[in-house]
Amino acid sequence: MAFNSHRDFFETLEKEGELARVKKEVDWDGEAGAIGRKTYESGGPAILFEKIKDYSEGYRISNGTTGTWGRVALSMEMARSTPVREIYREYEKRVDVKIPPKILKKANAPCKENIMLGDEVDLYQFPMPMIHEGDGGRYVGTWDVVINKEPETNWTNWGMYRFMAHTKNWLTGWPQTTSQLALIMKKSYLPYNKPMPVAIVLGADPLSHIIATAGIKPYENEAEHAGGLRQKAVELVQCETSDLMVPAHAEIVIEGDLMPDQIAPDGPFGEYPGYRSGTMCAGVAVKVKAITYRSKPIVTMIALGTPPDDSSIAASLTAAVAMKKGLLRHGVPVTDVYVPPEGVTHLIVIGVTRGGTETARKVLDYFTLRRIMTNKHIVVDADVDVFNMAEVLHCFATRCHPGRGILYEWYEGRSNSLTPFYSPEERKKLKGCSVAFDSTWPPEWEKEIVPIKASFKTIYTKEMIDKVNSNWDSYGIKL
Amino acid sequence: MKEWQTFLRRFSDMIEGKRELFIKDLTPGKAKYDTKHVIGTVAKSKKGLNKPDILWLRGESGERSREPWYISIEQTLKEDWVPGKPWEDVLEALDKMETVRGLR
Repeated sequence: MAFNSHRDFFETLEKEGELARVKKEVDWDGEAGAIGRKTYESGGPAILFEKIKDYSEGYRISNGTTGTWGRVALSMEMARSTPVREIYREYEKRVDVKIPPKILKKANAPCKENIMLGDEVDLYQFPMPMIHEGDGGRYVGTWDVVINKEPETNWTNWGMYRFMAHTKNWLTGWPQTTSQLALIMKKSYLPYNKPMPVAIVLGADPLSHIIATAGIKPYENEAEHAGGLRQKAVELVQCETSDLMVPAHAEIVIEGDLMPDQIAPDGPFGEYPGYRSGTMCAGVAVKVKAITYRSKPIVTMIALGTPPDDSSIAASLTAAVAMKKGLLRHGVPVTDVYVPPEGVTHLIVIGVTRGGTETARKVLDYFTLRRIMTNKHIVVDADVDVFNMAEVLHCFATRCHPGRGILYEWYEGRSNSLTPFYSPEERKKLKGCSVAFDSTWPPEWEKEIVPIKASFKTIYTKEMIDKVNSNWDSYGIKL
Repeated sequence: MKEWQTFLRRFSDMIEGKRELFIKDLTPGKAKYDTKHVIGTVAKSKKGLNKPDILWLRGESGERSREPWYISIEQTLKEDWVPGKPWEDVLEALDKMETVRGLR
């Protein structure tokens, strides 16, 4: 049974020892964020803060519900101990299945239990956390699903973009200028000076949030892919102030207009690459028109920062599978793609059946063709397990020729300005550079000159391997 | 004396005199960090300012200045925003407004 809501998932987390309920009063101003961060960095559980300073009982904050591979596996109704490779396989299998959403009547939608409209709107009634000391404000949208629509085609986009409270009824945020939200705004609203309706959803079911991080192609509806991933239709309900459809079991839905001619400060914010860097005051402003929410609402926080956290884990899964498909379409003979969470989608590992400069060039072309979120790509031979970073590092160190194995490409207008090493000028111009490390044996080398990897599995005969394995217990060596 | 904070790219971008700014209220409570759009006189010293409040500066990475500045708020603007298109630079838009309003 797919989890219908954020709070349904807590029962499973609790049963599996993956949830800490914090009953002691915690300050939304830094303390909840600091606890969340320390917990991520120690491999700790998801957290539900049940008593928040300045707020009455029932107003809660969660952190890290899918912040480990074990919790991602649980969200997909797999065993907590499922290896990463198998989580990838299962996601890859499910994500292309489209199950259309089911539309609920408003009366049956839990997210409509309470409604603030117009002048009643007050974001400060919710315990929006000040996640890090020095952030530009209280970020209510960190683990969210942001929904907008292209009016000409009814293509509905789900994405995950940061939003912070500016005043009691204004949010500011920073969906990247190369995001699908921006694409729709720039094409269908800005030229006509029209506000664009948006909905910022907190606390939907766990897999709807995972899908919001995915690089699903434009003109595909993420709600259908979320259904596929859940193996059950997502239940949606219409917004109060627009025709956008939102997850009906969400904790909180913030409805508003993204303004075409008004701006206000956003950021800075401690972002997913693991730094608070100079991305600020260049975002969007949203006038909030309504907030609908469940009783005893939960604000979903992820105390973003150095990996791992929900963002780096989810992106590892969703980005890798999208990249694998894209590379195959681009003619790269891919075996697997791994996005190590520690590399925060800046570092990608690509396994190929046939390596060499031509393949590495194709890989780099694919990653620099359009919107660019990555910058370092390690291309490895098929004998390397891309999920095993010790093997990848050994391969990179020993097979990448520093003179002819490093290919790079500069570009402008489409880089990821959150990349910490870019200068302020580069960030402003979206100027960047990507590199491919060809860590494969040149395909033109004769077989007999290719070095043989000196590992147990590769340098001995099958007979010797079998002999050693079958006699292992008798050697008295415990591994 | 109330405390506020404002963000800029470099601490050296802040100049004394009449400025149009977005400032965040640091008064504890549910509405802490609420933003006000104001015109006020800012200075490194509170001397000579009428009913000054403390104004902390934060740089583009969120780092706080060692010493606070001071602000005498003269007008709280009713607009929570400045004119501009999405993804345009808000700080440049504030500079433009200062010129439009003849503040400098």
